[in-house]
Amino acid sequence: MDKARPIVEMRDIAKTFGSTRALRGVNFTVMRGEVHALLGRNGAGKSTLVSTLSGYVSADTGSIRIGEVEVEAVGQHYAPSIRKLIAHVQQTPQLFNLLTVAENLFVENPLVRRGFGVVSHKLMLECATDLLSEWNMDIQPRSLAGELGAGTRQLLEIMKALSRGVPVMILDEPTAALSNAEKRILFEHVRALKAKGVSFVYISHHLDEVFEIADTVTILRDGKVVKEREPVERLDVETIADLMMGEKTVRSTRQDFVADEAPVLLQAKGIRLDSFSEKDIDFEVRAGEIVALAGPVGGGKEALAMVLAGQQRPEKGEVVSPRGKLPTIGLVPTDRHASGYVGILGVRENVAIGGLDVLSGKLGFISKGKEARHVGRLAQQTNVIASSLEQAVSQLSGGNQQKVVFARALCRGPEVIVALSPTRGVDVGAKEQLYSLLRDLASKGLGVVVVSDEEDEIDQLANRVVIVFEGHVVDELVGGYTIKDLILRMEGVV
Amino acid sequence: MSTDIVSKSTPKKEHSGQSRLSAFGSAFVAGGFTMYPVLLILVIVGAIVAPRFATAANLLNILDQVSVLGLTTIGLTFVVLIGRLDLSLEGIVGFAPMLAAVTLVPVAAGGLGLELPSWAGLFVALGTAGLIGLFNGFMVVRVGLNPFISTLGLLVLLRGGVLIVSNGRSIYSPGKALTYLGSESWFGIPVSVIVFIVVAAMVGLVFHYHRYGRALYAIGGNEDAARAAGINVDRVIWSAFVFAALLAGLAGVLMTGRLDSAVTTQGQGIIFSAFAAAVIGGVSLGGGRGTIVGVISGVLLIGVINNLLTLAQVPSFYVQASTGAVIIAAAVLTTIASRRSSGVRTRT
Repeated sequence: MDKARPIVEMRDIAKTFGSTRALRGVNFTVMRGEVHALLGRNGAGKSTLVSTLSGYVSADTGSIRIGEVEVEAVGQHYAPSIRKLIAHVQQTPQLFNLLTVAENLFVENPLVRRGFGVVSHKLMLECATDLLSEWNMDIQPRSLAGELGAGTRQLLEIMKALSRGVPVMILDEPTAALSNAEKRILFEHVRALKAKGVSFVYISHHLDEVFEIADTVTILRDGKVVKEREPVERLDVETIADLMMGEKTVRSTRQDFVADEAPVLLQAKGIRLDSFSEKDIDFEVRAGEIVALAGPVGGGKEALAMVLAGQQRPEKGEVVSPRGKLPTIGLVPTDRHASGYVGILGVRENVAIGGLDVLSGKLGFISKGKEARHVGRLAQQTNVIASSLEQAVSQLSGGNQQKVVFARALCRGPEVIVALSPTRGVDVGAKEQLYSLLRDLASKGLGVVVVSDEEDEIDQLANRVVIVFEGHVVDELVGGYTIKDLILRMEGVV
Repeated sequence: MSTDIVSKSTPKKEHSGQSRLSAFGSAFVAGGFTMYPVLLILVIVGAIVAPRFATAANLLNILDQVSVLGLTTIGLTFVVLIGRLDLSLEGIVGFAPMLAAVTLVPVAAGGLGLELPSWAGLFVALGTAGLIGLFNGFMVVRVGLNPFISTLGLLVLLRGGVLIVSNGRSIYSPGKALTYLGSESWFGIPVSVIVFIVVAAMVGLVFHYHRYGRALYAIGGNEDAARAAGINVDRVIWSAFVFAALLAGLAGVLMTGRLDSAVTTQGQGIIFSAFAAAVIGGVSLGGGRGTIVGVISGVLLIGVINNLLTLAQVPSFYVQASTGAVIIAAAVLTTIASRRSSGVRTRT
């Protein structure tokens, strides 16, 4: 077989989600036996690109060749045709919690089957024991996957993929939940397999790992390749950050003001998010400021926000207010489809459930007039566009749904707003409207906490950025920071 | 900032002519009026087929007969609106009045020997029902059982409980306080009908105008969103089970009053009719959808059909089967109507 011929060739891959063009004609090649790092900021299209490669998400247009199999993408599913050639480890482990370690490792694996598709448990346990000892993992093959820690689960997922013996592997943020020791084990195996000619596509938010393990780097920005197949030796952190960031587009900017004398509204005291964290989290939210919680996915920023909002109990510590009574908090949850709105109810009812107590009289009956006025005012403040206040929220566009969620969070007249991914899946126009809404609220003296994966968003909004890594606050940016400062910290370099 | 304003006059031009009709249709279905035209047709057909059907006495008789099912169904609607269910309501209809009866009557008549004063009967019955509701809420909210299995277990337990406390015998004439509501009439109208109408009106108002009703719909529509909005979801779920049980207890009292006795088989099978009535009335078993107006239409439809089939002298073997067929047909109609009108798929 021709050594110089790439094992993976992707040509003109395009993918659109609703109104977002995630990939706009991307070319991507992987050589035999190389570790190819795919870099880019959140939302640049890395995960989408590798998902189209593995067939987990079908590309709209373009062609993909893996080994000898060629696929012409027309928006149809093609995963089964390339299943034997590629394995894809997702960001979050996709394990069956109620199955054992052994069953998880060898699910749908012909290795443990006997005649007529009968699965041999004895064989499966033997194989699992071998595999586990090969990886120096001290767990029982009979224990349930759901009982394991996050790092072990992640490793299991990787082992499952690696043991399938495919020529191409995708590792999407494989080290996010791993300890240093576990990381070492993983890298050893990656190197060993590489020596055997296996190719890797490697996505990571830790640039130091990229320099350690990768041979080649491709950088994506806004769904396009900005640097194709650059040997890793020819790059440094500064260049990568510049390439990932790109030229600035004109957007609204944050108001850099931090009033030290502003009253503290909310105070996190000695918070530990889970039993694995070793350091307390202490920080404050002041009136009139926008604080952003930033950091990698699964690093604990969302959990911290939910603790602040009083929706989740921390392992240790508490959220207090210097005035004694906790302020009213409005919450914009992270996934509006799951927990943002009630789709079958109208705009009016959705907004009103955020403040049933303030809208109702002594006996608890809702005052219709008061409700109509209050909801109408909030809908105007948040710029909701609907045919009427009775229109079902499920029929609105994503941006308007999100505005309804904001209106609901504001319904009780909160003093603190906690907004998780406030503009996820929202078009640019609505985004700017929500930004100016948040700035407006802060200028009126509310404390605003924003959790976001998008550096631009944080840069445009936050007076203060708290970086959360692995359940700890590791850094804080105040006032005049640049987006580069932010990106480097979110990539874990500084 | 204020370029885009929510108003009722801004919708796009193109659907203003046809939309008035479709808006009326949506409101008609969402308000729970879907089955009323069907009911009207049934009444007209009934008047033609059976001359005795369209008399005041017979119509009142239908209302009297459905009041027990009606109260049970309204109770069931509380828990179904939040996406749960409660099978034990059937057990409560039998158990609560039976327990009250045996505390009232002397040992010779099958009582426990407590011989409480007659006025206590109603309180014992409703108190028992309320406690059972509390227990159901505890099992679902605190213990985290699936309401299907926890209330199924309780249903069977209560059926047995009736036999235990009554020693397997029915209790006759258990006392005025217990039988008054189900046996007396005011101005020629049975008190049970008045109770049913008053309860329906009150619950209807609460569902529509009270914050508690709003919380029920929100939880049924999206429990996580309700939680994120600051609604005390656990408390609402718990209380819904209590209200459901109390209404089932009241239904049981009406039944005991009508028969002037607490019968051991009292209420058997009523939960199936209650589910059927709720679904026919447009209540979504997935939660979040349904109105009291609709529930009443479902209850009336079942009552009218039973009455008509009897009056039309359909052989009794066929009555049951045809009721089932009608229930399926009506449920199909309601589901299609609600899907057509709202575009939202519901799990009925």
